[in-house]
Amino acid sequence: MRIEKCYFCSGPVYPGHGTMFVRNDCKKKRNPRKTRWTKAFRKASGKELTVDNCLEFEKRRNVAVKYQRELWSKTVEAMRKVEGIKRKRQAQFIFNRLKKGKQLEKEEAISEVKKNIHLIKAPHAGKAKVLEEKMVQKLQEDVEMGDD
Amino acid sequence: MALYNFKKIMVVPTSKEFIDITLSKTQRKTPTVVHKHYQIHRIRHFYMRKVKFTQQNYHDRLSQILTDFPKLDDIHPFYADLMNVLYDKDHYKLALGQINIAKNLIDNVSKDYVRLMKYGDSLYRCKQLKRAALGRMCTIMKRQKQSLEYLEQVRQHLSRLPTIDPNTRTLLLCGYPNVGKSSFINKVTRADVEVQPYAFTTKSLFVGHMDYKYLRWQVVDTPGILDHPLEERNTIEMQAITALAHLRSAVLYVMDVSEQCGQTLEQQLELFNNIRPLFANKPLLIVANKCDVKKISELTEEDQACDKLLAHRVDGKMKGKKVHDVLNRLHLAVPAKRDEKARPPFIPEGARIGRKTMEVDAPKRKTERDLEVEMGDDYILDLQKYWDLMNQDEKYDVIPEIWEGHNIADYIDPDIMKNLEDLEKEEELKVKAGEYETDEESEDEEMQEIRQLAKQIREKRKLKIVCSKDKDVHGPRLPRTVKKVERKTLEKEMGDLGLDMTGKDDSHYAVNARRSRSVGVAKKRKREASVVPTSRTRSQSASRPPRDQSGVRDPKMAKQAKKLMKNQQKDMNRQGKKGEADRHVFDLKPKHLFSGKRKSGTNDHR
Repeated sequence: MRIEKCYFCSGPVYPGHGTMFVRNDCKKKRNPRKTRWTKAFRKASGKELTVDNCLEFEKRRNVAVKYQRELWSKTVEAMRKVEGIKRKRQAQFIFNRLKKGKQLEKEEAISEVKKNIHLIKAPHAGKAKVLEEKMVQKLQEDVEMGDD
Repeated sequence: MALYNFKKIMVVPTSKEFIDITLSKTQRKTPTVVHKHYQIHRIRHFYMRKVKFTQQNYHDRLSQILTDFPKLDDIHPFYADLMNVLYDKDHYKLALGQINIAKNLIDNVSKDYVRLMKYGDSLYRCKQLKRAALGRMCTIMKRQKQSLEYLEQVRQHLSRLPTIDPNTRTLLLCGYPNVGKSSFINKVTRADVEVQPYAFTTKSLFVGHMDYKYLRWQVVDTPGILDHPLEERNTIEMQAITALAHLRSAVLYVMDVSEQCGQTLEQQLELFNNIRPLFANKPLLIVANKCDVKKISELTEEDQACDKLLAHRVDGKMKGKKVHDVLNRLHLAVPAKRDEKARPPFIPEGARIGRKTMEVDAPKRKTERDLEVEMGDDYILDLQKYWDLMNQDEKYDVIPEIWEGHNIADYIDPDIMKNLEDLEKEEELKVKAGEYETDEESEDEEMQEIRQLAKQIREKRKLKIVCSKDKDVHGPRLPRTVKKVERKTLEKEMGDLGLDMTGKDDSHYAVNARRSRSVGVAKKRKREASVVPTSRTRSQSASRPPRDQSGVRDPKMAKQAKKLMKNQQKDMNRQGKKGEADRHVFDLKPKHLFSGKRKSGTNDHR
């Protein structure tokens, strides 16, 4: 028994559940490479990690290997580690892809504030007070000067 | 050959059905609408099409019937004779002939009427012609009622005939009724022929198949034959005779030695002698049946019959010309002896041993079945004991297949540990190189503040947009300056923006508000009807006079100005226009309400 990949969306098809997924891809003439939500699309348009050593571990080999207990147990261990590494790398790939977006966001915020600050704060909001204080200070100085 | 076609003959409809089908088809598949006022060629074409369509349909179906039914001259004489016996050759040919005539008549009718229709000068005339044409065609079909019925029956019976291949090896059973022919065929083949104590249980030919010497043999069971001359034979017997006459087979003449069938041995012998001429050129065997009832040294069994037939057939073939051609080309080439060394044919060891074991029935290896029988209830099918693994003690392990959504089989690789090591090294290098550093420099205060402000700005904008959409103002809008702004709202708004609005009692707008209020109150008492109410907002400066007073020196001039205004509006008002910009042209007599026939409807919508 094995978990197959759906022809259309590349999602996992567990034994006994096949019909559910087959129904999904039975629509008329849809190219999985063009339907945005499938894995095929994401890989083809570079949204996910495609070429990497850790992905070479999981592939269908047509040579049957005789069962050996230690090999199988080692394989399970290796699978765990590989899975961990794979996840890290995939996450990093996506993070790198989205970095640029963060930069753009920052710049946009700055420009927004520069242009439309008047919607939340009047340009001379605190200035009246400052001006008043200045005037008071100046008067005081004058008075002092006058005293002297 | 012709065998198969008997089942594929199309159903022959009754004459009434035939007419109905064709006429309804004509109605459905040709256009149905025609009007008096169409051009005459169009009307003619319309009706001609109907006539031709009907003719076409009849022609097609009748032709199909004619081709489907087999021509008695074209099929194997056995079948031709059988059909003659069953359906009467003359009647059959006549029926088909009638159909052919009908077909030709229909064609002629259609041709004539189409020709006539070319000269039809009105819709009515063309229509009558079409009616006449279709009517005549249908009458012709009505007259074929009998033929069609007969042909349908023939077809049904034909499709149920047993598939007797006249060319293969056949054994033919014949003899008096009730001697045991059907019992014999039941025993020897898988056929299930009815066996009853009365005579003429079998009323037609039956076929069974059996295997002998790796070949397939047909066994044909016939109805019994009585002893009278050929002319007096009935249909059922004639079938048997036909089979005897045409099938090249071995004949088994079955005799009932116990005389249970009702005939003495002498009578049976008589019959045998009478039909002897039919056995010419066929291997013959006399079967003495029912010997359990009355013992007599049994003569022959089926084995001998088959062997004889085979030998006979081979002989026949050898004598035929074809075989000579083949023989000429066959030549057994034997290599000339080079030297005295004997070179026997090479038989591999395995084959020789195999042959020996086949001959000597050596005890075979113990099978699972034997084990099962031995152990009875305790037996468990354990296929894993035959597995051939590296370590034999792992044979009974439960092999894991799936882990966390992945197939383990996809990862199995003898080199997996090496690959894993490489991968881990690579990973270490990457970590060292700093690829996984999340360079999210925690932003400084300023950036955070900027983000906060940006968020507020966006919210405020959205709010404003929503407010303005809510207003939902269609039509002409008043300018902003016309609205009166409350002092409260102004101060609140400006306060939100960060300005200090306390102590603004003697500011410009507050003063104006007080002034305009007092002025407005006074004006209310003294207002004259002719003076246009001037709307001034409190926030508007008093120095700007309203437009209908600017440039007007005295009431006399104001009056004149007003008069001019009214005069200009007279024209527009009379035409019912909304204003000087209203240039709409009304459609007082739309075409769709004033044109066309008034059938059942009003002038509102027609």
